[in-house]
Amino acid sequence: MAKTKRKRKKRHDSLVLQLMILVAVVLVVFEGRLVVTMVTHRSSMKSATVTDSTAAASVQDGTLQTQTSAAATTSNGDTVLAGLPTVKASSAATASTPETQAETHATTSDPSSSAIVPKAATPVDDSYFKDAAFIGDSRMQGFQNASGITQGTFFTSVGMSLSTMQNEAVIRTAEGNITVAAALSGGKYGKVYIMLGANDLGEYDWDSFHDGFTSCLKRFQEIQPDAIFYICSVIYVEESKVEGGSYVNNTNVDKINSILLQICEEQGYHYLDLNEVLSNGYGSLIEGASSDGVHIYEKYCKMMLDYLKNHYVTADASDAKSEASTEAETESETETSASGAA
Amino acid sequence: MKKFKKFAAVLCTALIALTLTACGGGKSKDVTIDTAKLADELLTTVTSDELSKMSVDPSTVYLYQSDDVTSAIAYASSGATACEVAVIESKDASNAESMEKLLQDRVDSQKALYASYDAASAGKLDDAIIKSTGKYTVLCVCDDIDKANEILKKYGF
Repeated sequence: MAKTKRKRKKRHDSLVLQLMILVAVVLVVFEGRLVVTMVTHRSSMKSATVTDSTAAASVQDGTLQTQTSAAATTSNGDTVLAGLPTVKASSAATASTPETQAETHATTSDPSSSAIVPKAATPVDDSYFKDAAFIGDSRMQGFQNASGITQGTFFTSVGMSLSTMQNEAVIRTAEGNITVAAALSGGKYGKVYIMLGANDLGEYDWDSFHDGFTSCLKRFQEIQPDAIFYICSVIYVEESKVEGGSYVNNTNVDKINSILLQICEEQGYHYLDLNEVLSNGYGSLIEGASSDGVHIYEKYCKMMLDYLKNHYVTADASDAKSEASTEAETESETETSASGAA
Repeated sequence: MKKFKKFAAVLCTALIALTLTACGGGKSKDVTIDTAKLADELLTTVTSDELSKMSVDPSTVYLYQSDDVTSAIAYASSGATACEVAVIESKDASNAESMEKLLQDRVDSQKALYASYDAASAGKLDDAIIKSTGKYTVLCVCDDIDKANEILKKYGF
């Protein structure tokens, strides 16, 4: 009896063992790959794993390697105004100083125009852009990415033209795409920088561009009545590298810039002649400043930031200019109606 | 024989435990990655453009909540191409899925914009790599996808 019991127990033990072996084999066969991955992964991670302090040191090394002269703070950014992306950095960056300054060259049709922002006696630092909205095309996006700027809110879109700035929902937010006007409505800004026109070279007849741009800016001004409006010139291109249409040329850049300057004079906006520092001195983009002839490299984006820091107006000066502009408009309208009556 | 059975039972139990642990791996793996080093390596897969380190907070570009992220490093183009590299370390590995979605949204948005602007860039966006391991999520729009995948494999992605 005891012998039978022992035999049964032995058979039971052996059955359990066989079952366990079976389960183990199945798991090893089907999941063995994961075990292998775990082992190999651990050994490969030995080289990749570092302590936090080492990682921080490496980040610093990376920063040094890229020669970023402005403090490149990438943390502590706060969001959000109505779901809009907002850039806020904790540290004020120092002014970037390009290794070499391009030859200064007046490039507008009327270099003596009062709408052109002159060089200030002292540069501002990044904190000046804390309440600034930057609107523009891929060139402005490049400026956002590569200039080292740490403050400001950017509403940019690749391929933005006057038409898309006016009508299309091209600004990406957490809640979906919205128009530039809607984006601008999401907060209160002290300055609005606009860089547009590169995608309009040859797209419109110039009168239409003048009227459309003026109307669009008036709408923006209604949304941000207290803001200083800066209009950036269209930066020259390096024609030999441009693969787009033949209309992307410096003759058209000069033409559209003269219209932008005219609008600034008429409406009291402030014109930033970026080609003062980005021209080769002969009405073209500095040779080698861009891979495709249009979008400028980091070094030149930093020069642009440096230019913005050195060319600004105070709110008082802006108010006085707006008032003068309004008076001039009123006088002009009076004269027109008077001559019409005669 | 009895000893062998005991040994076999222990071995089987260990194997089962080990394989079951492996099943629970995947995205909740506890890995530590030098994000700056990884980003630098991924930069070598971009040959058609010179990318710059983003000085603005990458959350403004990728639209994640800053509170969810421990650190992020991103490199972007000055506009000539759609190439970009981002390595984001979330506070929790459970964020990986939502982070991947945000990065995919970014890629889709860029794709729509580049479609009529630069066909070559739109093509690169079609091949955009978005992967996660543990708390880390990566976006890589580059020229050498095979090399990028090799690098990511080395880091456990």
